Parts: sequence; structure tokens; C-alpha cells
Amino acid sequence: MTVLQKLTTRVQQIGRRISSIVPSPLLKQVPTLILGLVAALILATSSSVRITDLPAVIAGGIGIVVATFLAWMLVLNVRWQRYVLVVPAIDAIAFSVLRYGTDGFDSVFAAAASVPLLWFTVEAGRRHLILSIVGALLSLYAASLLFSGGDLSTSAEHVRERFTFAVVCTVACMVVFGLMRQSRNRVDEFERMLAESRALAEKVHMAEGLLRGLWDAITEQSAIGTDVTGLIDAWNPGAVKMFGITESAAINQRRIHEFHLPDELAARATELDTVIDSNSANPGFEALIETARLGVSDVREWTYLRDDGGHIPVELSVTTRLSDTGETVGYLFVAHDLTRAQDASRLKDEFVGLISHELRTPLSSILGYLELMRDDRDEAPLSDSRLTYLDVAERNANRLLRLVGDLMFTAQVESGTFQLNEQTQRVAPILATSIESAGPVADAAGIEMVLEMSEDCIVNADGMRLGQACDNLISNAIKFTPRGGRVTVGLVGSASSATITVADTGMGIPAKELDQLFSRFFRASTATRNAVQGVGLGLVITRAIARAHGGEMGVTSEEGVGTTFSMTLPLVQRQRLLRPIVGV
Amino acid sequence: MTIDLLPLRVVIADDDPDIRALVTIAVKRAGLDLVDSCSDGTAAWESLQAHAPDVAILDVAMPGMTGLEVCRLVRADARLSGIRILMLSAAVADRSRQAGLVAGADEYFIKPFSPRLLAERLSLLAAGATR
Repeated sequence: MTVLQKLTTRVQQIGRRISSIVPSPLLKQVPTLILGLVAALILATSSSVRITDLPAVIAGGIGIVVATFLAWMLVLNVRWQRYVLVVPAIDAIAFSVLRYGTDGFDSVFAAAASVPLLWFTVEAGRRHLILSIVGALLSLYAASLLFSGGDLSTSAEHVRERFTFAVVCTVACMVVFGLMRQSRNRVDEFERMLAESRALAEKVHMAEGLLRGLWDAITEQSAIGTDVTGLIDAWNPGAVKMFGITESAAINQRRIHEFHLPDELAARATELDTVIDSNSANPGFEALIETARLGVSDVREWTYLRDDGGHIPVELSVTTRLSDTGETVGYLFVAHDLTRAQDASRLKDEFVGLISHELRTPLSSILGYLELMRDDRDEAPLSDSRLTYLDVAERNANRLLRLVGDLMFTAQVESGTFQLNEQTQRVAPILATSIESAGPVADAAGIEMVLEMSEDCIVNADGMRLGQACDNLISNAIKFTPRGGRVTVGLVGSASSATITVADTGMGIPAKELDQLFSRFFRASTATRNAVQGVGLGLVITRAIARAHGGEMGVTSEEGVGTTFSMTLPLVQRQRLLRPIVGV
Repeated sequence: MTIDLLPLRVVIADDDPDIRALVTIAVKRAGLDLVDSCSDGTAAWESLQAHAPDVAILDVAMPGMTGLEVCRLVRADARLSGIRILMLSAAVADRSRQAGLVAGADEYFIKPFSPRLLAERLSLLAAGATR
């Protein structure tokens, strides 16, 4: 039974209770009817009651019957409810007529007319109280006025009797009115509660409908709820799809850790060894929820295990379910399937690998045979111009090779498969090597190379990659500096970092392009304008290398004055050089 | 001993005929004796079993069987224990080189390779083996 069904039933119960508190007009008519029957019985059996006017007696009887019929009609038709007071009014008149027919003033039924008038008292509002008291008194005294010709000063006993009766009538009316008001207030309160409950039930119904709709709409993610012991108590259509297990076969039947690779759970339990009690009944489940239990949403990759033995790589978010009082009442496991993402990533890697291989193989032949041609000079000596042709072919083949390498490297960085082979490394020798290898190019371009450093820095780095980054920065600086310019390579250590700077006196980069500089395939407008070769991968790669080392890249530039790139790496140690190096 | 004066015997395997020819030239320049030249892994493995050469130069990415697989088979075969294996590969990543060395290769050449350097390396090998 849902919460809503329970609530609806409760509201219906309250509704029934309220209607039983307020009596129906027919029920209110019952005392008058009984009184009428008793009067009829007395008239039929007792010889002491004198019938002075038979038609009046019959008219009184008919009046009561008509009033009762009316009361019944009112029960059947709720819309006539506001005319309900017609019933006691007819009753009162009927009793008065009856009294007239049975010796008038001295009739045994003298007090009967005040009974239906009590009905007025039970109606809401003070005017009904006054009406009923006035009505009762009227029925008493009107008779005196009618039957004794206005002579109210009969015997003292008569006066006292009548006055006492009036007092009793008034008190009775007031007591009844008070009681009725109390119960009416209670009814009102119930009715208000009922209305509130109904509104609440409706809200709950809407909220539940929304939640249910949402829950059913999630078909691509599995959402599984458990209690604190891991027993499953919620299982969405996504879980049905992922595991091929129906909701009824999972709820209260299975535990969440049964769907996890035991090895992974064990590994995680070992990882969390310090916080998990090894005596725990189920360390696997504890490992699964440990982070979530601390109130942190825990998202990590796991492998789900299907009953048929199939594995599903998932990204799983574990959260705690709390009660209103903040107590943990269970856990929620929402997972999405990573199979397709992993397939796509693997395909991409395979594709990049294949492309790289297919490009490198023909380049191997080109470069290999070019080298053979150059080396075979003994057989047929080559003219200088032909040697120049070979140089050009070789240089371009090498350029293509570097491009393939750069593309491959960028793909690795993107797919996260790029790995560093880190060792403690002195930076100065790496810089020296880069400058040395750039020497011939710088000479040919008529650019002066300067190295400035007063101390060496030791960092944790992959020497080859760091060298590649420095080569990139230096070759960039040379490419963008006109003949006669200067490229200055510097190294500065601080308390926590080592900063390599490469400054040129080149064409500079427009300020608004600086933040795009590290985007893939981006080329500064000054570069394209000056027809500088490149595809826009060098800085992407350089920054990827810097970041992989826990470092960062920076750049400052002024158009027409020059550009300075800096690479900051976490420092292990500084080392003073025996002799500061300035210049080359 | 006359056997020491005989040149080292080499089997090469690469699916690209131009590379095969390039390696052949390097082998000849180093003064080694090329006994077989194969275009796929399966043929290479059969040839190695048949000829039991002194040196095998294997491409990694070949149809039939990869160079790594051939390498593992050779290392698992006691009769072929003396073979020196040179791997040629277009895969530059460090882990590819590691995989080659783990499979049992003695040398790992990255493509593009210099035929001159390969020939020098083979000459050194020959000198070492005949010393």
C-alpha cells in the first residue's frame, strides 16, 4: 500500500467521523416524532384527556407527519439544507394546534410545543438561541393570552408554575446551545484538518507521480536503493535493463555487493584499511559506502557483475539516504554504463596508432633510401646541387615525421595515455643540450643565442619530454625572430619552483590572441602574416608536458618587441653553479 | 676453427617490401649472410625454425603473427636459444619498447631507422660473435 493510499483512507475515515458528529435533520426530528406518537397513545388510551376539537387534533397529527416527511426529504436533498428550520417550525405549530384541540390552555400537551423549538438552539448563531427561547415562551404565554382572554393574573400557583417552566426552558436552551457550540467548533476543526489533509494528499500524490515518472524515465542509468546493510529496496528500470533482473527479483532478495567484482571490493577495502574495521561482517559493502558515509558524494569507476558473469564498467555515484531526523537509513547507487565510452576511447587510440604506423612506415622508406643515396657517393659521386636536393627532401621528410609525432603525442595527451618516465633531473644540462642542438639553425637565421643562469635546479622530470618542451620553445623563438635578433634562455630557482624562460626579440603576439595561444591548431596572426611554418601543436604539447610535471606555462608579449615564454616546474633542490653562465 | 670465420646468418621479416629491401642492404653492408626474407609473422616463425639463424630482424606489426609473438615463441624454444633478435617498430611509445624487450628482443629499433646505424649495429654484433 502506498503512502498516498494510506493517507486517502485516513482522510475518508475522518470524513465519516465528522458526518456522524452532526446529526441529520431526520435524526433531529425523531424526538418530536416520538413525542407525537406518545401523545397519540395517550389520546387513544387515557380517558382523562379531553378532546375539545377533533379536526384540530387531526391537523396537529398531520403537521407532525408532514414535518417528518420534510426532514426525510432534506436528508435526501442536501441543497435544501438552508430551509431546515421549517421542520421544527411546523412541529411547533402542529403541537400548538394539538394543544388547542385538547382543552386549550389546560391541555396536558402544553409544554410539547417547546420541544421542537430546541432544534433552533442547535443551529449555529446566537439569533437561533434567542429565537428558540422566544418561541418557547410564546408557545407558553400565547396560549394564556389566547385561551384566557388576555388575563395573565390567574392564581399565584399558576404564575409560579409558568415562570418556573419559562426558566427551565431558557436554561435548557442555553445549555443545549453551549454544548452544540462546543461540538460545532470541534467539527469545524475536524473539517479544517480534513481539508488540509486532502490538500496534502493531493500534493503528495503529485510529488509521488513526478518522482515515479522520473524514476521510470531513467532507463540508461541504474539507480539502486539499499538499506544500511546493503539489502536492495529500490530497483529502477535502468537497473532492470543493465542486469536483466526484474524489480521483484531484486528487492528484498539481493544485496548490492553481489553485483560488484569481489576483487575490486577487496582492493578498495585494502585501500581503506585504516578506516574499515577488518572484523566487519561485510568489508566489501563497507568499502563501497565508506566515502558516502562521511557525507561526501562518492563518484568513482567500478565494474558491475551480471549474474551471467558479464562485466559492465560503470561510473558509480554513491550517496547516503537520510531520514527526517538526519539518520542514515540507506544508500543510493546511481551508475552509468561506460562500455560505449571505453569502446570509443579504445577505437580512437587504435585509430591514432594505426594512422601513426601507416605514416611512419612510408617515411621510413623515404628517409632510409635518402640516406643510402647520400652514403653511396663512392658509386656515383653526387653534384653539390643534387646533394642540396637531397637535403631539402630529407628536411621535409623529417618535418613530416615530427608532425606525425606531434599529432600522436597530442592524441595521447587527450586520451590520457601519455605517461612520464620521471627521475630527478638537473635542468641546466637539458637547457644546454637544447641550445646546442638549436645552434646550427640559429646561426643560419643570424640569431644570437644567450643562456643566462646563476644556479642549477633539480626537478623530478622525464628528461626526454622536458628536452622536447625546451626544444619546442627555443625553435619557436628562433622561428619568430628576424635576422639579427636574440633569443635568451634563462633558469631561475625560487623556494618551491624552477622557472625556465625563453625570451626573443621577435615580432610578438597581439594581446588579444595570448589566451588562445595554447589551443590546438591555433596560429597567431603575426605567424601567418609572416609565413612562419607550423601547424599550431608545439605550444599545446609544451604545456601538456609542463602540466604533466605538475608545472605551468606562462607568456608575456609585446608586438614588435618580443615574447617571453616561461615554464615553471616544482623544485626538488637548488644547486649553486661554480661559475655563473652568461652568454654562450 | 673454420666455423668462426663464417658470416652470421640472418632472417628478416617485414610486411613492407621496401623496408625489407632496405634492411637487406643494411645486412649485406654489415657483411652478414641473409638466409631468408619473410613478409609475415607465420612465415618468419617457420623460417626461424627451419634455418635456426644467428640473427633475426623482426618487424612488430606484421600480419599472421606480430613480431612480439614470434619473439616469444623463439624465446620459449630451447633449440633456438642462440638467436639474437632485433625488433623494428613504428610504435614510439616507451611502453612499446618495454613490451619488445619483455618479449625477449635484444635490440629495439624505432622506424624510421638509419640503415647506416643498423648496419653498424649488425657489424658490431658480428664482431662480437666471431671474436
